[in-house]
Amino acid sequence: MIGFIARRTGWALFATLCVIVVVFALMFVAGDPAATTLGPHASREAIHDFQVREGLDQPILAQLASYLGVGRCVRKNAKGYTRPDGSRGFCGLLEGDFGVSYSAREPVANVIARRVPRTLVLSGMAMLFELLIGVTAGIIAAFRRHTWTDTGIMFGTFVGISLPTYVTGPLALMFFAFLLGWFPVGGYGVGAWEHIRHALLPALILAVTGAATYARVMRSDLIDTLRDDHVRTARAKGLGPMAVLFRHGVRNALLPTVTLIGLSLPFLVGGAIITEKIFAWPGLGLLTLEAINNLDAPMVMAVVVMFAIMVQIGNLLADVAVAMLDPRVRG
Amino acid sequence: MRSTRRSDGSAAGTRGDGWRRVRGVAVVVVLAALSVAAVRHWPEPPIGPRYVGAGDPTPRSGGTFVFAGGSNIRTFDPHVAYDQLSYMGIRLLFDGLLDYDRDSHLVPSLAVALPEVSNGGRTFRFELRRGVRFHNGRELTADDVVWSMRALLSSESASPGYPFYKAIVGAPDFHAGKRDDIPGIKKLGRYTVEFTLTEPDHTFLNAMALPFAYPVPRENYERWAKVGPDAVGRHPVGTGPFELVRWERGVEAVFKRFDGYWNQPHPGPDEMVFLENLAGPVATARFRNGDLDAIAGMPAVDYLFFKKSRAWKPYLDQYPGVTIWGLAMNCEMAPFDDVHVRRAVAFAINRKALSRALQGRALPTGQLLPPAIPGYDPDLPDRQYYDPERAKEEMALAGHPDGLAAPVTAWIGDSDNSRLIAQLWQQDLREIGIDVALRQVSFATYLEATAKKDTAQMFPSGWNMDFPDASNFLFLFDSHSIHPSHSDNRSFYRNPELDRLLAKARPETDPAARVKLYREANDIVARDAPWAFLYTPLEMEVWQPYVMGYRPHPIWLEDYRDVWLDLPRHRVPQSRYRDEPARAEAP
Amino acid sequence: MDPRALRRFRKNKGALAGLVLVLTVTTLGVAGPWLAPHDPNRQFRDTLVLADGLPAGPGSVPGHLLGGDPLGRDELSRLMYGARVSMTVAYAATALAVLIGVLVGLVSGYLGGLVDGALMRFVDVVLSMPFLLLAIAMQRVWSAPGLWVLCLVLGVLSWTTLARVTRAKTLEARNHDYVAAARALGYPHRRVLLRHVLPNVAGPIIAIATIMVAQMILAESALSFLGLGVRPPTASWGSMLSEAGGLVLGMPRLVVYPSIFIAAAVFGFNLFGEGLRDALDPKE
Repeated sequence: MIGFIARRTGWALFATLCVIVVVFALMFVAGDPAATTLGPHASREAIHDFQVREGLDQPILAQLASYLGVGRCVRKNAKGYTRPDGSRGFCGLLEGDFGVSYSAREPVANVIARRVPRTLVLSGMAMLFELLIGVTAGIIAAFRRHTWTDTGIMFGTFVGISLPTYVTGPLALMFFAFLLGWFPVGGYGVGAWEHIRHALLPALILAVTGAATYARVMRSDLIDTLRDDHVRTARAKGLGPMAVLFRHGVRNALLPTVTLIGLSLPFLVGGAIITEKIFAWPGLGLLTLEAINNLDAPMVMAVVVMFAIMVQIGNLLADVAVAMLDPRVRG
Repeated sequence: MRSTRRSDGSAAGTRGDGWRRVRGVAVVVVLAALSVAAVRHWPEPPIGPRYVGAGDPTPRSGGTFVFAGGSNIRTFDPHVAYDQLSYMGIRLLFDGLLDYDRDSHLVPSLAVALPEVSNGGRTFRFELRRGVRFHNGRELTADDVVWSMRALLSSESASPGYPFYKAIVGAPDFHAGKRDDIPGIKKLGRYTVEFTLTEPDHTFLNAMALPFAYPVPRENYERWAKVGPDAVGRHPVGTGPFELVRWERGVEAVFKRFDGYWNQPHPGPDEMVFLENLAGPVATARFRNGDLDAIAGMPAVDYLFFKKSRAWKPYLDQYPGVTIWGLAMNCEMAPFDDVHVRRAVAFAINRKALSRALQGRALPTGQLLPPAIPGYDPDLPDRQYYDPERAKEEMALAGHPDGLAAPVTAWIGDSDNSRLIAQLWQQDLREIGIDVALRQVSFATYLEATAKKDTAQMFPSGWNMDFPDASNFLFLFDSHSIHPSHSDNRSFYRNPELDRLLAKARPETDPAARVKLYREANDIVARDAPWAFLYTPLEMEVWQPYVMGYRPHPIWLEDYRDVWLDLPRHRVPQSRYRDEPARAEAP
Repeated sequence: MDPRALRRFRKNKGALAGLVLVLTVTTLGVAGPWLAPHDPNRQFRDTLVLADGLPAGPGSVPGHLLGGDPLGRDELSRLMYGARVSMTVAYAATALAVLIGVLVGLVSGYLGGLVDGALMRFVDVVLSMPFLLLAIAMQRVWSAPGLWVLCLVLGVLSWTTLARVTRAKTLEARNHDYVAAARALGYPHRRVLLRHVLPNVAGPIIAIATIMVAQMILAESALSFLGLGVRPPTASWGSMLSEAGGLVLGMPRLVVYPSIFIAAAVFGFNLFGEGLRDALDPKE
């Protein structure tokens, strides 16, 4: 078992490295960040200084090695780089340094650390809504299977899956926030309660697709479980339908749902680019979009690395779980 | 037994079809009632301001002022900042020796008066105001001015503003690291500084009013230089009416009133919150809800709403920006190496249609200089204008009576607006037989490619002035501004006659003679058409009724340093705007 | 398709409705340019742009049923041309994804061993690529590319699920007696794969691919919404949505029209795909 986990971890690290190399190369060919960072009025000297300082005048392999922290550091400012707390800075990912953002001009880690909690608030609330609405709708649909209620809910889930956030978002913003005034019109607010109030509408919009998915999974699993022998036995013992549903059905059917939650973990942290853009929610998604538009390579790389690691952890956990249940896979 | 009947989860069963029918009818009735209610009570958007002020005209301090911008501040370091929003922030925190008043005239600010000019227009002596304090409590002296200029001119600052101060004696050698002092900048006393130039330059006073030359405290720069490059840009200390509390790039910047401000009384809000990257419908909707106190720039429909609105009329201002937009052509690349093709393009574009597609937010033009700049000529003889017949004649003169054989490629930036406008002139040029393929690239790539020799054939281009002088526009076409990879002269236009005119105008001290030279230069550029000049944008800013003392500034545009709030505000019912004719929405 | 599956499919009303929608949208994609009343890129500056610069509303100008877009182009014609672009991208990208996915899955599952291991690790790598982010970055690199780059980007990034499913089904098929027999008889690999393995795999692949078309429509419009889609002035539903984005407060109709088309197309492909899956792989 330990050997299996070690091997899978090794592969996960390799996959992450591949992602880093690919995105690094893409950022390299995407263009020169000096112009966007310094603006259209920047002088030749300023552009040249910037390129030398960030090591952009070096060959790509030297830059990559430096980024990873396995070669000579090409960032001129990194040598004497000192943090406000007095500790000396690193140069390279392997030493735990994501570098300094071109546009924000401060360590990438600081910027991301500020954004992560916000994205977690939004994604967390979205997940809560997804589960609340999705699971409830799924249970109702399964319980009233083949009735109009069921058809209506299933129709609703199809509509939910078919409506992207960039369609529902602006319309909801216009109608519920602006015309009806039930929600604040985008933004983040000041203070914990305000953050939550501002997150309500974007979280609901973000939850539409997820809730529809959960409802469908829940319904089909519940129907499967209700056909199982132990449920039939329980029923034969004379338990009421509600009791059967909740004591035996829902509990068992929740398992696949929990797996689904696990798999959506990276997206919980990765943020929702489009939703954050529509609602001006200053989380990781908006940061990512700005970073790409500014060709802010250290920032883009950091987000990519985080995302890749989250996906790998999710996959690893899923694989380990499967391996524990099914010894054949260990091979 | 009852559970077996329902084993498939079917709910209908026991109560039969009658119940089902009743339920169906009930559902239909409820839905119908709901839709009727929705149509009858469809919510109305707010027509006029939701809040008005207390109605007390005495300027006073207090409150929080919340405003927004569609982009973000890049830095608070005056040495490095070179864009409108950074200037906006810097002008809350810093002052210059000189400033512009609301009629674009130079006026003293940290200097007691305009400088004494001597030595044939080469020497400028500034006398500083006494008792001016930085946010850290220290008094501003001549040493600060000297140190700030040294820091600005050293190559370490990487300041884009360096070229404006090249004329100071010794500045180029100091910048190149060849010498350690700048003989042209001298401290003559605790409050007196003198600048000497190598040759008379009329524009130097303008340069001294730019944020690059704002005095900064040395100790703050030395402190943050240890932390990292540009760290000082996040921790500014100035002499201005506000101090920076915190700044999160891309999210918000928070300022608080500086009690030790030299220019007292200076009533203003206790706190200012600038929300970054907030634009489009979200910003306007928030403003109309009363959650924002001022906005600048908005989508088309919202613009028309405000423009037509009677209720908002007292609280908005519309003014032409000091910016020129045009379609640039690379004069070194075929087919635009032929002046006739360039002229054909300049005659082919329907500027009125363009202005209309922008809801009139563009003043059509056919020359480089915007109306506010001396040298602008309302009756330019060779003015560019829309005339498809002349465009075709020019095409024939160029030897392409049936249009160009090959399509040309135009590089455009990635904003929605540039895409929209590009599709307009794309259609116009097709009419005279020029097929344009639009190449939409990121703003970074656009900047990089258009400054490079033999790369971009055609591209929309704009210039936003640094200071109100024609030279700041005309240098774009000076052949000395050409560089193989980082050209300021992005159309790679060369004309010795123009170069000569510009060299002659620079040291000219007589304003009338200067303007005459610039007018000539302006004419040459319009005639040779390295750009098809298209329009000057009209800007609009709107603020809430309780925001007082605010007007857009002719030079700095969004300038909030004199704002004060007439609080407490109170909510007014929308019914008071019932006779409002403007319902721009939902046509 | 075997007759039982066909019967199951015909009994599923939702799936039939999905099929109708799919056929409608596809027909629109093929015939849109002939059905469209006007050139989608022609700007009717005198009729469809009102004096104040706003586009004319639906029904207000004869001959322009849905009114104009912000540049005075005929909205209906753009929607119809947009159908072609959106459908082309969706189908082509799906085809590419199916091609790569099935190939990788078949080879991996059939050969097994080292090849399988390597290919599945490769799938892991592609799976860890952040889809939207990479698509944006690749769009940037090619700087406003033609349709084919869009198809390439979308196809190359989304074949992984297909590969995994194909592999699983191939593994299943490999253990069947007739495949083992065919291999024992020494038939060439290609023949065994095509004749015996592929038919087993085809069912679920078709179902997944149908649903994938829906996702591709969404992906194309998402990229276009972020301003990274097709080259202007080409109309696609996503680019129309993005050009109308700033007008949602005052002119929701410009957002609503393309939204309806996107939603209807996605809805149709989802329903149809689910119906196919249920018919081909009966669980209940």
